[in-house]
Parts: sequence; structure tokens; C-alpha cells
Amino acid sequence: MSDQTEVAKREEQTPAGRMAPTVIPSVDIYENDDEILLFADMPGVAKDAIAINLENGRLTIKAPRLIAGEGELQFEEFGDVEYERVFSVPQGIDTDKVEAVMENGVLSLHLPKSETVKPRQIPVQAG
Amino acid sequence: MPARWNDFDQIFGAMDLLRNRMGMVNRLFSDFEPQWGLSSSWPAVSNLPRTNLYDADDHLLLKAAVPGLDKDEINIKIQGNYLEMSGSRQEKAPEGYAAHRLERGGETFFSRSLTLPAEIDSTKVEAKLKDGILTLRLPKAESAKTKRITIS
Repeated sequence: MSDQTEVAKREEQTPAGRMAPTVIPSVDIYENDDEILLFADMPGVAKDAIAINLENGRLTIKAPRLIAGEGELQFEEFGDVEYERVFSVPQGIDTDKVEAVMENGVLSLHLPKSETVKPRQIPVQAG
Repeated sequence: MPARWNDFDQIFGAMDLLRNRMGMVNRLFSDFEPQWGLSSSWPAVSNLPRTNLYDADDHLLLKAAVPGLDKDEINIKIQGNYLEMSGSRQEKAPEGYAAHRLERGGETFFSRSLTLPAEIDSTKVEAKLKDGILTLRLPKAESAKTKRITIS
């Protein structure tokens, strides 16, 4: 018991000052002719807390995750973190139409391709 | 556990290196490379949900990270001081898409059981799911509560 008490006290001594470690969220990335679709696991991130920035071919996803406990900590396997991941994005993403949805701690990010980079079927005309 | 965070960082830092190396194999989409070198990643070592447990005198509080799960996909069983959580993520890859990077584990199933430090009154347990975090408020059974004895 004494160990556990000590852990709890330690937490109290270093309140907001402790820097949350930066963590890379796990992602799945898919692509079809129309878009690039990215899913990122970020449990505990509220949708208002997430910052997505697409600029100069760099996509940055950033979000703090705060876990509010209660009472004495018994064991901890996850904690406060700063999720951050940067991707370089291929040319031809229509930045105005990027769409982000956050559901059950999973970010879905739709990056639509602009018309110019979509593959085009060229009909062969009969000579 | 004085250096808890550091310990984790070391363990997962190593995991990260490994993952980076393994990543070499599936770097198919070279235009879409993430920039590595951020301090520490925290990949799931297994697919067991990461869980925290707190003791707040009259109840225990359990938090588990279950990203992508709906509330109907999680089962919780409690008997005395034994708790079992299980769940499955019914996620399908989107149809007609090519996959460039798959780190999230796709469809997953987990089952995790814990022995709690106190008997729980299972009729008063409250469970909430928000932003991919499952929170269980587990009121202690009367017999397990700490009693303060006033000296008369």
C-alpha cells in the first residue's frame, strides 16, 4: 500500500508542469482514384482539441490527450500525451475539400484529389 | 515506480526502432512518408486495451483505451472483485481502396480480466464510453469500504 500512496503523491507534486510525452498515433492510409483516406487512433482526444494543418505539402495532426483520474492511482498504462504526426502529402490534394471526422477516438481524414491528378480514361476512337 | 514514464519511453522507444525497421518493408507509398524522429510512439504491444485503475475510497475508477469500438461492441462482466472486459472492433477496410499503411490492427478482438483490489457492488456499476475511452465507476461493496471508527 505504501508504494501506491507514494505514486499518488508524486503525481500531486508535479501538476500541470509535467510535459506530456509526444506520441505518434497509429494510422491506416488508403487511397483510391478520388481521395487519400487516413484513419488515426487517438483515444481520449475530443474533437475540438484536434488541430489538422495542411500546408506546403505537409500534413500535421496534433492533439493533446488528457486523462482525468480520481483518487489514488493503482496502476497506469496510458496517460496524458501530445499526439503528433507529420506526413508529407503528394501534390494535388484539394485542400478546400479536406474533411475530418472524429468518432470513438478515431480520426477519419478524407484528402480529396484535385481534378487534375485524377486518372482519366482516354477513349480510343475508331480510325 | 519512480521513473515510470522513462521506463515506458525506453520500452516503446525500442519498439519504435523496431517498427521503423519493419516499416522499411511496407514503405510502398514513398510520397506519403511520415517524418520519424518524434520522441516516442506508444504502439499497442498486444491488442489488450491500455487500462488505468484508481481507488477513490468508496469506489474504484477504471479507464481503458478502446479506440474505434462502439458501445455495443464492448462486454463487461463483474463478479466480486473479478472484472472481465472483452470487445471486438468490427472495422472493415473501405472498399475499392488500396492500402498504403496499416498500423491500427484492423478487426481486432480482445479479452482482458483483472482482479480488483476490492469487492464491487456490481448492481451499481456505471459504464461510459467517450472519445474511445471506456470509464467504469465501480462502487465498492459495503464490506470492502474503509470504515472510520470514532473514538468515543
